[in-house]
Amino acid sequence: MKRANAASLIMAGLSLVSPPLAADDTVHFPANMPDQAGTEPRELIIEGALDIPQFQPVLKAFHQHYPDIDLHYRNFTTLALHQRFLDHEGANADVVISSAMPWQYRLANDGYGRALNTPEAEAWPEWARWRNELFAVTFEPIVMVYHDALTERFEPISSHDDLLTLLENQREALQGRVVTYDPERSGAGYTYAIQEAQLSPRYWELVSAMGSVNTDLVGTTGEMLNGLADGDYLIGYNLLGSYARDFVRDHPQLNVVIPDDYALIVQRPVFVSRNAPNPQTGELFLNYLLSETGQRVLAERTSLGAVHPGLDGEGTARELRRRLGDALRPIRLGPGLLATLDDLKRDALLSRWQREYRRLQDTSP
Amino acid sequence: MKATDSLFRRLLLWLLLPLLALGALMLVQAYLDARRTADRAFDRLLEASSHAIAEQVQWQDDRLWLDLPPAALEMLATDAEERVFYALYDGDGDFITGNAALPGDPRSNDSQDDTLYYDDIEWRGLSLRQGVRRTRLEDWSLRERFEVRVAHTREGREGLTWRLFLGNLAYIGAMAILAITVLLLAVRSALRPLTRLRRAIRQRDPRTLAPLDLPLPRELAELRETLNELLARMRRVRANQERFIGDASHQLRTPLAGLSARAELALRQDDPQAWRDALQAMQTTSASTARLAVQLLSLTRLNNPEATPELTPLDINEIARQAVRDAFNACYRDGIDIGVDAADGTVMIQGIGWQLEEALSNLIDNARRYGATHITVRVNAAPPELVVEDNGPGIPAEQRLLMLRPFHRGQDGGDGSGLGLAIVDGIARTHGASLLLSDPANGSGLCVTLRFVQPNATRERA
Repeated sequence: MKRANAASLIMAGLSLVSPPLAADDTVHFPANMPDQAGTEPRELIIEGALDIPQFQPVLKAFHQHYPDIDLHYRNFTTLALHQRFLDHEGANADVVISSAMPWQYRLANDGYGRALNTPEAEAWPEWARWRNELFAVTFEPIVMVYHDALTERFEPISSHDDLLTLLENQREALQGRVVTYDPERSGAGYTYAIQEAQLSPRYWELVSAMGSVNTDLVGTTGEMLNGLADGDYLIGYNLLGSYARDFVRDHPQLNVVIPDDYALIVQRPVFVSRNAPNPQTGELFLNYLLSETGQRVLAERTSLGAVHPGLDGEGTARELRRRLGDALRPIRLGPGLLATLDDLKRDALLSRWQREYRRLQDTSP
Repeated sequence: MKATDSLFRRLLLWLLLPLLALGALMLVQAYLDARRTADRAFDRLLEASSHAIAEQVQWQDDRLWLDLPPAALEMLATDAEERVFYALYDGDGDFITGNAALPGDPRSNDSQDDTLYYDDIEWRGLSLRQGVRRTRLEDWSLRERFEVRVAHTREGREGLTWRLFLGNLAYIGAMAILAITVLLLAVRSALRPLTRLRRAIRQRDPRTLAPLDLPLPRELAELRETLNELLARMRRVRANQERFIGDASHQLRTPLAGLSARAELALRQDDPQAWRDALQAMQTTSASTARLAVQLLSLTRLNNPEATPELTPLDINEIARQAVRDAFNACYRDGIDIGVDAADGTVMIQGIGWQLEEALSNLIDNARRYGATHITVRVNAAPPELVVEDNGPGIPAEQRLLMLRPFHRGQDGGDGSGLGLAIVDGIARTHGASLLLSDPANGSGLCVTLRFVQPNATRERA
């Protein structure tokens, strides 16, 4: 029971910025084929944990390419999506897309994915696919966001190192003015924490420093962005870049910083269900996502970021890499993700996190 | 025999079959070896991974605790991107944590030490290699037992197995090609002398019977010697035939020339009495010539190896009596005393009646012609024998064997054809009987014995 609770907690947290969505949060593109009366329209069911406004441009472009496909997209929270998939043994959807990398990986590892063997799949970068079953199709940096008020008083920050120095030097001034994910409540926050802890032991110094300024711990990127826009917080740490970029467009007082010492990259893994009701159209859609055409839509009409190595310019992995070089740390699509899902691991990491968070608080009066 | 049967084919088949069987065995062995090697290599990963996990197992909050190192799972997935599973069980077999309820290993261990078992398992339709590490906490006081189970799919192992196997395959293939080439050459070279022998025989003048003298390996040299023996026999047979024909023509020419000369002489005279004398002389000569021709014919018949007349049971007493009856008139005219000394009852042998009668009439005739005055035809029962005894001049012991050759006459001056004993000898051989020439028991003369093989006792009637 305890495990189930822990899992649902993480899952709930992984819904990220979007508040839990109703299960009937769907979009439907009916088949449109005036010339081919008599032929059955092809069905395609996509289920995901990806907000419709963000995903719609891709779905629309796909449907324009293949108007004879009757396309349903259903958006769920990551928890609901995962549970639905397991309940139906994967027969509920053709394609599953979610930002919950560990969960997606676990489903693929357990053999729920269907291998895609097309030229596009073969050409897909090795680091962004697993066994030709699981494909990471987006490229979203984890960013820091700061309010203009910060630069009025202090130097602007551009890296974790800058942030740590700032927190240590301006402990009094920044009390309660920093916000980040609560790793206990947010699966995303937990995923980032575990990745960062693996990257460097200095992460724990940062956690201690954040503890020393009594950093606010929240559940979603949305909460952080709203607090930053209102001026409650000066610095937001570990926000999902794709959401932040959209949000900052309407809030010029906020600045997005992709840290230049290291920046975690989140990717959304997609797979075609092994028990898909329409495997052909499912593979067609995944192949479209992997194609240069589909990726261009991701780069130009969404903030999700394109991975395709043939694409360059705003919103592509290539452009980010050129700008930040080796600083990018894509979360590796590998068995290490399974460790993230281990309950004891989670307990161990969270207790360490809490310990580090309180370490400097205890020494201060 | 099939048309396709050939020594080359047969040799090749019997050499290639074991070679192929051996090759197949080597392939299987190579595959199993490759698989074992790959398993050994990849089992190190299971070992390292389970070790890395076991090291992180602690006792905390009154329970087993694991801070799972991601690297322990990462190392289980090689370039082949295997699916990875792990689980931690406590000493009672209760699940503590993991991403799969792996089945564990049925082998139980009594040892308290760190033990590791590998096994191939089927789990939820996946073919996995599982490593189960049974160990215990090395705490100050706590010695809690636990079990770390790690498993991954076999893609990496299969890849390595295949690569190793292909390496071996190239090696085995090269060896097979070499072996088959050498085999073909060896069989071909082994059979070459046979071809040479065949050519040598084919290229010979068909009329020549000279021995073959080409150098050959031992096995074929025996064949060559056998052939040469056959050729030698054929040479002898042909020489015999040529001599026989020569003798026969000579024998026939002499009386014919005599006839011709007598007729010519008689024609020059006008005296009817002279004609009559000449005609009488010619009649005698032509009669003996006719007899000579008959004997030649029967000798030819006897020597014909193709004709093997069937033997029938018959009574030699009867044969002897018949022969004496036939000869009686002629003998009586010449004042020769001839008689039968038959055995008691019947003496049955396997034989051909007309041949035996011919043999006896020849022997009687011989005796008569060479001046015997007393001829006895005797029948002995055990062993069955036909004996013709006379009181003529006899044959010296050293000449007796020569007498059996056609046209060989014991003494000059006799009017025999020289075929009589040769014919008797031929008949004796047809009957499997032995022909003995000896001195008679009482005084001079010749005793000719035809000794037959003792027939079965059941056939014998006293």
